[in-house]
Amino acid sequence: MSTSGETAHDVVVVGAGFAGLNTACILARKGVDVAVLEARPRVGGRVCTEQRPSGAVIDLGGQWIGPGQDRLQELADRYGVTTFPTYTTGHGVEVREGKHSTYGGLVPTSDPAAAAEGIEAIFDLDLASQDVSLHAPWETTDATALDDQTLGSWLAGRLESPAARAMIDTAVKGIFGAEPGELSLLYTLFYLRSGGGLMNLARTTGGAQERRFDGGAQQLALRLADELGSRVVLSAAVRAVDYGGGLVALHVDGADGERMVRARQVVIAMPPALSARIAWSPELPPARQHLAMRAPMGAVIKVHAVYDRPFWREDELNGQLVADEGALRLTFDDSPQDAAHGVLVGFVAGRQCQELERMSDAQRRQVILDDLVRAFGPRAERPIDLHEQRWCTEPFTRGGPVTIFSPGMLTSCGVALREPVGPIHWAGTETALEWTGYIDGALSSGIRAAGEVAAALGG
Amino acid sequence: MATDEEIAEAYADWRERCNANDRLRRMLRGWERTVHLRTTDTDTAFTVVVQAQLLEPLQAGAVGQPDLVVTATSEDFADMFWGDLNPSEKYMSGEIVLAGSQDDVMRLDAMSMVAFLDQ
Repeated sequence: MSTSGETAHDVVVVGAGFAGLNTACILARKGVDVAVLEARPRVGGRVCTEQRPSGAVIDLGGQWIGPGQDRLQELADRYGVTTFPTYTTGHGVEVREGKHSTYGGLVPTSDPAAAAEGIEAIFDLDLASQDVSLHAPWETTDATALDDQTLGSWLAGRLESPAARAMIDTAVKGIFGAEPGELSLLYTLFYLRSGGGLMNLARTTGGAQERRFDGGAQQLALRLADELGSRVVLSAAVRAVDYGGGLVALHVDGADGERMVRARQVVIAMPPALSARIAWSPELPPARQHLAMRAPMGAVIKVHAVYDRPFWREDELNGQLVADEGALRLTFDDSPQDAAHGVLVGFVAGRQCQELERMSDAQRRQVILDDLVRAFGPRAERPIDLHEQRWCTEPFTRGGPVTIFSPGMLTSCGVALREPVGPIHWAGTETALEWTGYIDGALSSGIRAAGEVAAALGG
Repeated sequence: MATDEEIAEAYADWRERCNANDRLRRMLRGWERTVHLRTTDTDTAFTVVVQAQLLEPLQAGAVGQPDLVVTATSEDFADMFWGDLNPSEKYMSGEIVLAGSQDDVMRLDAMSMVAFLDQ
């Protein structure tokens, strides 16, 4: 319904990523009057697929699906979207202390003792994660002690070998977009338990990077949005929310100026840090405000280098790189299933991302190319396309791939992650119990938020 | 192809090394499981029991209810036990298949990697 330029709905969802879209679809299927406001001109949030002029279709954000991500698999099945395995045939490339070597399996093996030490540390982290409460990590035994330290300090006390530390640092940067020293140990353990452990999160076969979507991951968001039709409004940035009484008023900056949208219930489906950019009236409770201020996004540039063919496969390489130096320290083969192009996908994360973000476009590109050549030889020097997805520069994302919790945050403000504030509810992968940080977690947060809102409307 | 006797001989060697490895002993703490090994080419089965932080001697046949089932070629089993094959590489390529709970698979995967790396 519409009154003098205003619209009103039972529910407004802010954010058309997988969490917001799933929330809205579940409610719409129940017959609830729901609208979705999305600041960007597209849906998908941190999942975005692009067809490049070269013809290559690349995922600029979330892209993989692995065992146990049942909600994401259900969604793919619902829309008939098929998957194919990440290319893993052959050896990975290890660059360590300036030396280039190849390895088989999950971890670089040029220093076997260091690798074994690293595996034991990962093993111990994964075991410790099993003691962390998914529902309320802040209620875990010794939660405060765990939340007082960083993953970096824990590793420093455990690992003697710099090579073992470098191996884990690279994996952690790829997963969180952060240095181990930035991450609360409690949060790390929670995150690991949520995704089945660090070994699971680091894996291709049998793990979180096992398979990819034919045609890219964003099409699933597009299908959800198709179901919602005109309920999804793009380029509609919520600038302020008044929830002091009566209907919630959302002040929206759109392509055609400012307008007001009113709702009985509101779902904020975005990372906590981004919710701080909305002007709240009244102000949100202190724990929620602090959560928003002190749980930033990680820092990552996702790099795609497109070649006319996956030349590394000719050398029996699987496109995986683990490096302890340079900016690009982690790569995978991201070629299409028919290998019509060769595509390497890599991550510049944490400190290296911050360093590259201070460079000019030309400098940054050269650093990335140098790293690719060091890992994969001179044929890597001239990609037909080199794309950098600089998530830190995206105004409605401001980093990635996930939110990071610094020490003390979960135990002091974690309770505010999901706790509704009057008619305001919270969704987003950060609020998920399983697969937090992943697309699957976003979907499950939507299921939870939709149930919460439906109950509130029923009351 | 490896014979059952060759697999048993290789396992005995592997078991001795594993049971002498302090890191592996630490990783086996509190993990007591029955593991069945099934060959894809010779259609035989073996049973490994992990108990009190030690690998027990290999038993012929599928004995008891398994917590984990490892499937591979007879030659891959023999090569893995001789320490010539990185089990992580074969797991990644799908040539070694681990079936069991996610936790048990993670543990066996990690321990088999350490057994290979720490020899």
